Amino acid sequence: MADALTAEGINLAFGGHRVLTDVSLDFRAGQITGLIGPNGAGKTSLFNCLTGLYQPQQGSIALCGRRIEALPPARRAREGLARSFQHVALCPDLTVAENVMFGRARLGKAGWFDAFLPLPRGRAEAAEARAAAEKVLARLGLSAFSEALPASLPPGTQRMVEIARAIVAEPRVLLLDEPAAGLNAAETRHLTEALRALAAPDLIMVVVEHDMDLIMQVCDRIHVLNFGRRIASGTPAEIRADPEVVRVYLGDPDD
Amino acid sequence: MPDGMSVAEPVAMNVARRSRAWSRDAVLLLALALLPTTLGGFWVYGIGVCMANAMAVLSVSFLLRYGGEVSIGHSFFLALGAYTVAILERQAGVSVAIGLPVAALAGVLLGLGFAWPSRKLSGIYLAVATMALALAVPELILQLGPVAGGYEGLYVAKAPLPGIPLDLQRYYLPLVVLAMAVVLLRRFRHSRQGLALLTARDHPRAAEAFGFSRGFARLAAFAISAGIAAIAGALLAFSASTVSPNSYTLWTAIYLLVGSVISLSGLGLVAALVGGAFITLVPQLLAAWGDWVPILYGFALLVVVILGDRPAETLTKLRGRIGGGRHG
Repeated sequence: MADALTAEGINLAFGGHRVLTDVSLDFRAGQITGLIGPNGAGKTSLFNCLTGLYQPQQGSIALCGRRIEALPPARRAREGLARSFQHVALCPDLTVAENVMFGRARLGKAGWFDAFLPLPRGRAEAAEARAAAEKVLARLGLSAFSEALPASLPPGTQRMVEIARAIVAEPRVLLLDEPAAGLNAAETRHLTEALRALAAPDLIMVVVEHDMDLIMQVCDRIHVLNFGRRIASGTPAEIRADPEVVRVYLGDPDD
Repeated sequence: MPDGMSVAEPVAMNVARRSRAWSRDAVLLLALALLPTTLGGFWVYGIGVCMANAMAVLSVSFLLRYGGEVSIGHSFFLALGAYTVAILERQAGVSVAIGLPVAALAGVLLGLGFAWPSRKLSGIYLAVATMALALAVPELILQLGPVAGGYEGLYVAKAPLPGIPLDLQRYYLPLVVLAMAVVLLRRFRHSRQGLALLTARDHPRAAEAFGFSRGFARLAAFAISAGIAAIAGALLAFSASTVSPNSYTLWTAIYLLVGSVISLSGLGLVAALVGGAFITLVPQLLAAWGDWVPILYGFALLVVVILGDRPAETLTKLRGRIGGGRHG
């Protein structure tokens, strides 16, 4: 498929423990795709295969037809993958604006001399990066915090800063790892609106999430995993009506 | 979302603190520049050496701040810089003006040479690996034979600039280089490489996700730190006028680390000078009170334990508590 991130026949095991079994699914451009499943279903493992943290034993991952499964995480960034983290991973010494500027640091051409000396190219690039960061912060309604340190902000705002950092380099794929984890209801609502506003025709968005309300409101399509296998794919309405999914989520009396 | 007011205040305070830091540094530099007009030769010599030592402390602080790593081996890079200047003067007849840039380059290259095989090590494991460097230094120098002057060492006496008394040059060269280093390091903090190293220090996986591998961060932080240390060694050789193997022992490396911790690993002028004064004075005092050596040794070990796995974070917290804020 042309404009999509596709995973084909992914098998992943740790020692003898099978985590993912023959998982094939795709994430299309212009859509927000949710990846859900009960605890231990393998959604985080699949997410880590997409970002390059895990190497599946079998299977291929392709972005717009280009195979990327052998690339380490740093190289996948160059292919246009960007991500947020379940546990906020902002640098505490950098201001919000600087954390966001780092999101496009790899695009810079400024060398080591520019890093220390006030040379024209480095200055122009830094100004450009700052302008891009301010623009993204404004877009997400975070302009007031651009000079603040992350630790002084509530979790919801920190999460939004991470998303700002992920989109500042205009990635082709945006991978969000449990963006609502640790957020209160108001923050989650704000996040829902922000994610909807981020959707763009050429952007592939993937959301791994526990929060069902968020997934149902935000996603165009949903893949459901259980015990390392894909058990359903479809629109939120289809997923809600799917008997297998209902059994997995509601049939368990402990849930 | 919180209202904007709650963060606007600390932001304004940060801006004010930064501009205060600039003016304080300017006054300090002016005072240092004028000192030789009022002080005698002994003090001029001592403060010159102290400023070269300040540069050495900066190298260890840089590794702590940007790499999050502790080194007990920076006496190696100090000796490298010092002997580069001394041997170039003796063999090729060139002054520190040539020797210093050569030393810096050698420092960066050997820093890379050490960091590459140890790129997977961190924390106490890396610290022990660097200690091996420090232990090897005196033997390595003696192995060089007559070129390095053996136990007696070498004199460094060639003036880089004609027409200015040599003792004044021994004072002003470290002053100018230290001031430049502080300014350049402040610039580096805002460069894309600086942002990458700081992010990689706290969240290596986040740095990787945005295109900077762990290995890149480790090599870059160590190589720059080694380069700064070699420059410091070059300054030290020139300011102290001699180099000898017993100036670069494991103790030198331990003093550097303790000096860096005492200055809270700040990269500003004041922090560097505090660290520099510490490592200039303490060995002198210890020579008089030999009994205190084990106590300092214990203190150094304690420091490494307290810094623990996340030295940069611990020191940032300390800086915040003492009120120095984020300066430097």
